[in-house]
Amino acid sequence: MSLKSKSEAYKNPFGLPSSWDWLNFSEALSKYHFYTYFENSVIYTTGTIVITLLTGSMLAYCLSRMQWRFNSAMLLYVSMGLIVPIEVVVIPLFQLVKWMHIKNSYLGLILPYSGFAIASCVLMLYAFLRSLPNELEEAACIDGANVYQTYIKIIFPIVMPALVTQCVLIFIRIWNEFPLAFIIASKDQLRPLTVGLLGFFVNVGVADWGLIGASMLLSSLPMIIVYLIGNEKIENALTAGAILK
Amino acid sequence: MNKYFSTKVSIFVFAFPALLLFTLFCVYPLLPEIWMSLHKHDGFRNLGFVGLNNYKEVILSSSFWTAHKNTYLIVAISLLLGLPLSMMLSLFMDAQTPKFRRFFKTVAMFPAILSVTVVSQIWLAFYEPNWGLFNAILNSLGLSSWTHSWLTEKKTVMPSIGLTFLWQYIGLNAMLFYTGIKTIPKSYYEAALIDGANFIQVSLRITIPLLQNVIKYVLILSTLGSMAFYSHVRVMTAGGPGDQSRTVIYQMYYTAFDTSEFGKGTAIAVIFILECLLISFFIQRFVARDKLEF
Repeated sequence: MSLKSKSEAYKNPFGLPSSWDWLNFSEALSKYHFYTYFENSVIYTTGTIVITLLTGSMLAYCLSRMQWRFNSAMLLYVSMGLIVPIEVVVIPLFQLVKWMHIKNSYLGLILPYSGFAIASCVLMLYAFLRSLPNELEEAACIDGANVYQTYIKIIFPIVMPALVTQCVLIFIRIWNEFPLAFIIASKDQLRPLTVGLLGFFVNVGVADWGLIGASMLLSSLPMIIVYLIGNEKIENALTAGAILK
Repeated sequence: MNKYFSTKVSIFVFAFPALLLFTLFCVYPLLPEIWMSLHKHDGFRNLGFVGLNNYKEVILSSSFWTAHKNTYLIVAISLLLGLPLSMMLSLFMDAQTPKFRRFFKTVAMFPAILSVTVVSQIWLAFYEPNWGLFNAILNSLGLSSWTHSWLTEKKTVMPSIGLTFLWQYIGLNAMLFYTGIKTIPKSYYEAALIDGANFIQVSLRITIPLLQNVIKYVLILSTLGSMAFYSHVRVMTAGGPGDQSRTVIYQMYYTAFDTSEFGKGTAIAVIFILECLLISFFIQRFVARDKLEF
């Protein structure tokens, strides 16, 4: 589809193209702010992953290893986050982001995304940390490390596999997230790929299917590549998700 | 030893950032949502307390019920059609040789990793009335009377969007089931094989009963996922024709952002959150209550 000229896309939409028209790709790249949207998507996803994994793993560590009166209450509190769909709180989130003056910045999406990703991250890491023996930290303690050094040097490397799994899960979720991005990233320069693509389709109209096909392929390519590389990891992430409940 | 680490300062340092983010963006928004739903609010100014009036107006409008009908139609499609189909797909994948299994797994996951915008756009091409794939097939089979303008007719619009949704997530659910099947100990199957059970008997008597935890997880996931159904509608029909393909979430957005009645929009949201809580409570309470150990 993406290799067909405008007229051919019409006459013969689903067959193979008669002549291979690579022009659509270059045209899609120039007309459609692919690089901007792509960069934005990357920023949103990495930002969310970094913030969620860092804060989430700290909370999970605190809940699983430290002695605190509210441990089980906090765990229950965080697990509530799995029930509320992000879509239903979009209106107050929109107001909140506006009020915090982060609406026209990357943080306007990264922080809400992180807030919503924390629940599953904490619960999974909690289960993982629970299964680790205490001796690891006792040894560190005897060697005179304080809690922060222990966390960074001992715990963080050990939970790495679980962190990678979470990383994949968050990536899939955030890269393709639509409703919140649609409402909050209203400025063209801040739109991620999913939303930017929709705006592009509306601009092009239904006429130019060759161009639309090219831009669809271009926007899906990063995800497809990530999937083909991380095939195995994604499958493991799904298993982890399924035992979580 | 754990005591040694558990100073007030360290607990605060470790727990605070995540709890702050979670509370601020995930829990706190529920409060202004309830507050706003009791006021007349245009998104910028609060125009006065109106009590339950927003709720009353929302419930009395016909769009609200159309939206509910559509939303639960999607829920029904994804539970009654989607779950059995993905279960069958996962059993099918499990029965393949490793090489084929790898292929089917990749194909199954493929739609789920594409973005909603792309998937919806592909299906827009399928549904196109003049040259779209579906009408072209029907015409070539000599069934021209069955062709439709799928996305602009009142009757066909919701099932058409539902089919797109089904296509996108069936493989993902199948993968979840499949990863569950892998955790079942092989000894059960060996025992069944000795007793001379066939594939269907093994599936019905062993695999599906032992999968109940995963089934419950997928059930909650796809129920809540299809209740929050919005993006496909936004891209494919923008709620049209009229209000015929609006879902509850779409209706909420429309009321708040397109007609600037934030009070009413949030009233819809509050009602909807209660529905979600109620439904997940019922699933938790009545489906697969005992945990299986093996």
